[in-house]
Amino acid sequence: MSNYLIAGFLGVFFGFSLNKAGLTKYHKIVDVFRFTDMAVLKFMMTALVVAMIGLYGLRGLGLIVFPSVPSTYIVGNVIGGLIFGIGMALTGY
Amino acid sequence: MKFILNYIRKEEWSPYVAGILLGVVGVLAVLLSNSLLGASGAFENIAGLIGKAVAPQAFDNMYFNFIMPPGITWGVILLVGVFFGGMLGAFSSSTFKWRLVSDDQWKKVFGPQVWKRWVLAFLGAIVLEYGAGIAGGCTSGLAISGGMLLAPAAFLFIGGMFASGILTAMVVYRKGY
Repeated sequence: MSNYLIAGFLGVFFGFSLNKAGLTKYHKIVDVFRFTDMAVLKFMMTALVVAMIGLYGLRGLGLIVFPSVPSTYIVGNVIGGLIFGIGMALTGY
Repeated sequence: MKFILNYIRKEEWSPYVAGILLGVVGVLAVLLSNSLLGASGAFENIAGLIGKAVAPQAFDNMYFNFIMPPGITWGVILLVGVFFGGMLGAFSSSTFKWRLVSDDQWKKVFGPQVWKRWVLAFLGAIVLEYGAGIAGGCTSGLAISGGMLLAPAAFLFIGGMFASGILTAMVVYRKGY
């Protein structure tokens, strides 16, 4: 139960950050593929760097154990990404 | 203090500031629930739930039994939170509004018809979700959550996503690219 509360709580901040970065808008998403507005990449990479530092730091201190890492199957990951990109550029999601 | 409040009310933040917020949320998800952020998986959990009720035989397969078991998962609750969080963001900047076609740039490229946006959004979302299913996640579940654990899958996915996204944008925008 408390896990669900945490999920809802974190979800609110997740959605809030997406909204404030403008990623809820079609033109923001498609413009990164046109190289006219790199906000998506700036947002994603900042989140990645902050989370990497936090997670590896906390693991170094022995405070967390990593959850199951998404599995790597090269062909699937790439082909999935290729299909995903078409949908993303069309819908702006 | 006033500066912070004014910043929260801004419609658009610097993507770096919003990115820091998401990064912190990603760390907290692991710290508090040992879970990874994601969006596309939740739709599959719900699809599985509906599918098992409507056509149990068609949904009695490896994918829905083991890889994406149906149910109201942590990710589904997260997604509900995302919905309200996005709404809260719009309310905070007083930009909340009901719309049928949300984007001016969309209208310029595809025309003003409402049905076109909805049909393309629906079909595009099918393509997107299918791709996410094959790859094992979406922008948030694989690219960001996988990337922050330095999973190679995340970076393969990002490469694929940008390659086809750029091509699709070129086809859609043609001369306007």
